[in-house]
Amino acid sequence: MIDWLTILKNAKKTCIQQGNLRKVHFLLPDGREMVEEYNMETGVVTRRAWKVKTNVGGEGEWHIEVGDPEPTFKTEDILIKENSSQPFVSRRITRKNLEWRIRNLPYSIDVYSVTVDPESRHLIVRTSNRKYFKILNIPELERLNLLAEQNRIQMFHKFNTLVINYEKPKQLIDFEKALFDEVKTIKACKEGDMDCKPS
Amino acid sequence: MAVSAAAKVQEVREITRIERIGAHSHIRGLGLDDSLEARHVSQGMVGQVAARRAAGIVLQMVRDGRIAGRAVLLAGQPGTGKTAIATGLAQALGHDTPFTSMAGSEIYSLEMSKTEALIQAIRKSIGVRIKEESEIIEGEVVEVQIERPASGVGTKVGKLILKSTDMETVYDLGGKMIDSILKEKVQSGDVITIDKATGKISRLGRSFTRARDYDATGQQTRFVQCPEGELQKRKEVVHTVTLHEIDVINSRTHGFLALFSGDTGEIKPEVREQINGKVAEWREEGKAEIIPGVLFIDEVHMLDIECFSYLNRALENEMSPIVIMATNRGITRIRGTNYQSPHGIPLDLLDRMIIVPTVPYDEKELKEILSIRCEEEDVQLEDKALEILTKICTETSLRYAIQLITTAGLIARKRKAPEVGIEDVKKAYMLFYDESRSIQYLTDYQKQFMFDHGDDAASMDTT
Repeated sequence: MIDWLTILKNAKKTCIQQGNLRKVHFLLPDGREMVEEYNMETGVVTRRAWKVKTNVGGEGEWHIEVGDPEPTFKTEDILIKENSSQPFVSRRITRKNLEWRIRNLPYSIDVYSVTVDPESRHLIVRTSNRKYFKILNIPELERLNLLAEQNRIQMFHKFNTLVINYEKPKQLIDFEKALFDEVKTIKACKEGDMDCKPS
Repeated sequence: MAVSAAAKVQEVREITRIERIGAHSHIRGLGLDDSLEARHVSQGMVGQVAARRAAGIVLQMVRDGRIAGRAVLLAGQPGTGKTAIATGLAQALGHDTPFTSMAGSEIYSLEMSKTEALIQAIRKSIGVRIKEESEIIEGEVVEVQIERPASGVGTKVGKLILKSTDMETVYDLGGKMIDSILKEKVQSGDVITIDKATGKISRLGRSFTRARDYDATGQQTRFVQCPEGELQKRKEVVHTVTLHEIDVINSRTHGFLALFSGDTGEIKPEVREQINGKVAEWREEGKAEIIPGVLFIDEVHMLDIECFSYLNRALENEMSPIVIMATNRGITRIRGTNYQSPHGIPLDLLDRMIIVPTVPYDEKELKEILSIRCEEEDVQLEDKALEILTKICTETSLRYAIQLITTAGLIARKRKAPEVGIEDVKKAYMLFYDESRSIQYLTDYQKQFMFDHGDDAASMDTT
């Protein structure tokens, strides 16, 4: 298996710079599409999204892996969706940690338990009052083929939000650094640049 | 108290809205036995043995799915069960086989060309079974809340609370979803799955924890365990989409333009070509399976010569469905020309069809149909009244007699009689004219009507 860094290095990359944010579009050799947004000062990924295509075709939708979800305006043709008061997960990456924030969880800290399933690299969030249950996968570890470890987990609860931190392993930090070096070398077009000169 | 009464009225209204009685709602299938021989009275079908047998063979042809682009013509006088046979065929095919029903005059529209409407109808009749990873919500229903606005109009608001052994979530429901939840009669204690993309609900059974109120449930109720873990799962499901749906998904304009385009209107031929290629590719790779369905065109004589010549070509395509057409015309003008032709269909197209004739019902069959309709409309008829009605039926028409069932039923209910008697039928017969009496009336009193042409009326062009 070719490692993830090589795949990304071989991907067709398009890049745009907005302020101190650099957005990179990766078109992987197998046709998948990914977009990452880097903060150039800290070198940390602030957003990452994958394009999900269906078999039937059509344009496909962006699935946000890291960062805030896209606001949705579609309200008319919804079939079924979670009520806005229900818990939802958003992800962040910091310099040292992978972070999950589960909002709208009002229960106190002693209710939650987070366990690691090392083989499948899943974090399993349980509540002792059986109100919330969630399996979180760690795609970063999956891509680098690293095992998940229980002792890297920390969690705290504040403002109705459960925050779970997973301390990045050394290999992941090295990989991110290598990829960031690669991203820095891509020639970025400025916002407002055009491919052709309009007459 | 008042609140509960209001709720009850609402509920009744909801049910009657869903279960209205149509002209062919008594038909549940073709009424054939295993060897495709037609039973005389079965599944709401009566008589017409030869035509039903022929339809059974067409059914077999559709199920085999090997023969593409055949055309079948149901030809017969008005009220001889052509549409009934087509409805029965659709029922017998089941949910998974696409069945598109249209009337010949539906293709005339200002929004799209006639041939485009025909292509869309044809492509709606071809299904593609494909595996797709889909978000499934699976859980036990804790509560269903559906609130209507006090004024009675406007959108309904719905909430659904589902739980598994490990969690509980509140969902908001859209209008379509509320309807299907009401239709499926989902209630707390049911274990259901919902396909998040299509909104399809399937009931797995009742939860074991509700087993104690078993006397409130039917005998065939299955009891299942409450699901574990997360409510929302990703599962691979097989579903059937029609070629037309794939066309629409792939031809929608994207970006901000999508805001302005409502319906898709016409679909570019390039898109269709591309999709045909893709579907053929999937089929070769074993990813998808093609289910040819049935396109039923009622009143086919309303198509014009361009449509007929387009059909000639379309039927030759290996992706085309079985096309069933129905007409009640004899030798008449082909629309769009001055030529006469049998059934108003050009001879070259007729030559490509197999023609199934339907024959007028005899008196015994008419009686049978009338009593089936009585049952369907929940009208009790005295034996004598049924005989009178059958007599009326043979002298006027089947449709008129069926109208009399409803009206006589209402008259009988007015005088609080449990059964419809002869007098009720008589009264209805006097109140409502059939076609021949109406003509008689007009010829008798034509002088008093406005814009009367006098003797010219007899030679009026009725086409």
